[in-house]
Amino acid sequence: MTKLTRRAVLSSAAAATLSAPFVRPAWAATPELRALMWEAYLLPDVVTAFEDTHQVKLVPSFFDGNSEAYNKLRVGGANEFDLVQADGFWPQLYFREGLIRAVDYTKVAGTAGYLPEFAAEAFTVLTDPVSGAKVGFPFCWGAYGITYDAAVVAPDQTQSLTCMFDEAWAGRLSTSSRFEENIALAALLVTAEMGTREAPRPDGKPFNPYVLTDDEMAGVEKLLIQQKGLLLTRYQDNPTLFQLLQSGAVVAATEFAQVYRQLLTATDGMTKGDFRHTLQPKEGGLGWVDTWLVTTGVADGEKMDLCNAFVDTMISAPVMKRIGEVAGCSTTVDLRATATEEERKLYLMDRSSEIAGLFMFDQPSSPEKWERVWSNVQAA
Amino acid sequence: MSEPNAAARKRVFLYIPTTFLVLFFVLPLVALVVLSFWQTANYKIVRDWTTLNYVTLATESAYIIFFLRSLLMAILVSVFLVVVAWPIAFFIVRFGGRYKLIFSLLLAVPFLSGEVLRLIALQGMLGPTGLINGALMRLGAAPLRFIMYSNSATFIAFVYLYLPMTVTTIYLSLLNFDLRLASAASACGAGRLRVFSEVIWPLNLSGTMIGFLLSFIPTLSASLAPRFLGGPNGTLYGMSMAQQFGESGTWALGAAMGVVLVLFSIAALVILSLGVNLRRTGFTGMER
Repeated sequence: MTKLTRRAVLSSAAAATLSAPFVRPAWAATPELRALMWEAYLLPDVVTAFEDTHQVKLVPSFFDGNSEAYNKLRVGGANEFDLVQADGFWPQLYFREGLIRAVDYTKVAGTAGYLPEFAAEAFTVLTDPVSGAKVGFPFCWGAYGITYDAAVVAPDQTQSLTCMFDEAWAGRLSTSSRFEENIALAALLVTAEMGTREAPRPDGKPFNPYVLTDDEMAGVEKLLIQQKGLLLTRYQDNPTLFQLLQSGAVVAATEFAQVYRQLLTATDGMTKGDFRHTLQPKEGGLGWVDTWLVTTGVADGEKMDLCNAFVDTMISAPVMKRIGEVAGCSTTVDLRATATEEERKLYLMDRSSEIAGLFMFDQPSSPEKWERVWSNVQAA
Repeated sequence: MSEPNAAARKRVFLYIPTTFLVLFFVLPLVALVVLSFWQTANYKIVRDWTTLNYVTLATESAYIIFFLRSLLMAILVSVFLVVVAWPIAFFIVRFGGRYKLIFSLLLAVPFLSGEVLRLIALQGMLGPTGLINGALMRLGAAPLRFIMYSNSATFIAFVYLYLPMTVTTIYLSLLNFDLRLASAASACGAGRLRVFSEVIWPLNLSGTMIGFLLSFIPTLSASLAPRFLGGPNGTLYGMSMAQQFGESGTWALGAAMGVVLVLFSIAALVILSLGVNLRRTGFTGMER
């Protein structure tokens, strides 16, 4: 029989302490659903209800831009996450690279509620052109348009992107700090002025503001350097832009229409301006459809069923309505039957067909070149 | 206790921190160096050995500007902090009495909240609708534009962030300093300025240098303060470096930027250390 000595007790305690991280107690055996997502879409009460219903723990990780999520997914591998969000053409890139798997709309009842533009057959952005498989579920949609105070900036002026480069508003303009969208939006103006959109494109495909020639990139750099002197700041988050617009410090800003809606629905009595949003300037606009994707780390079976159930919860009408209100975005699910006239207008419920006219967010043709241009702009 | 057992225990106590440092400091640093000699193309690492990243950093004006901006900012912030921290630390040591410890602990209070939280609070304070400009505008005065999204705002943030550390290091140095030496110099006829410049300052130079470096090095590599407060013209080296690892996905260039930063920080440390005569600084060897 082992003698109970001080040394033995201490050794056992040390061994138990060191092995603790590797022992999974019964109470910790709850399965996890790991989601790489935008923070704005996390509704704690919805998550709690989902966790209780399905006896699962949601482990969210957050990202800001698509390239950041792409990097995380590539570095961590598809096994690090079960669900991931992306927009524009990124889901197709993920699928080509084997990071996400095909999904089955028939397993998610809520897909029947999509607006016609986002139904499986119509929304080909989420269809793999080779296999025809659906690679993800549409979630929210929007544009990267111009939110402005119509009491200061005439609505006519915002019909062109030039208003974001107008010296008349020096020090009262703002853009986001996302370099891809700043460059792509400036590219719309530059290519419109250069008249190069109809010329043969570097990738042999129709014009895409994310695939630019060197001359166009030089023009973009010049334009963004000029714009820099007119900006109050490049906002880091929506609450900052909300404050800047609400206070009148900024009169026009490019954004996802989320702040615009928050300004119009703010109940704090502080909002003073006549805020409006231009979805598609005459030079063209950028659009996005946020999606839910399932990684290749998820095999058919229990985990896949959980992923489908989570997506089904997220695209259910009540949750989508709340997501729209909280995150300030338009939804891909048809909520018109229960929406007020004001909500239909505010959330662009009758304008979802315009998504087809917008250039979808995409991967820059050369992240290295784009980074150099952005660094030159920042250093100028 | 037998000799071999004592030796083994000493080795264990040495091995634990050594292993920790090798695993979490040396190896990541080696990985960073290796990555800096590779390339990234379309968010993928290309494992071809090249010095192109370093050539880019040495020849592209953008990165040189970021570095020079950061260097200037780090020097200004650190010098300012030393100038401000000295009287505060001296006051606590000289007149703090039995509340010395409480005063010094109060300096740590801002560290109870995260850096991001402190910066967001500062953004609210310095912004166009913040406490300062909001009050000015309510009084009918023009807002102070230089503190809104500018390098001045970043400077204020750095001072706010690193002042406690600089004060604490100088305070600890002064705590160990025998004030009777200053009294002796005064008694021998030295004026206040001479007592400070020839007795107090040189005997606390090593603590001052540590305080300087503790603000200089983090300022040189900082990314959050310029990001939240710097505005369109406020991009600093650390912010650009963080961008390489974040949205632009140009990790190899970012790694090269990191290696340059580490080498420069080591060089700064060595140069500043050479300026300190250890025999004349800090430790008088006397108990207080």
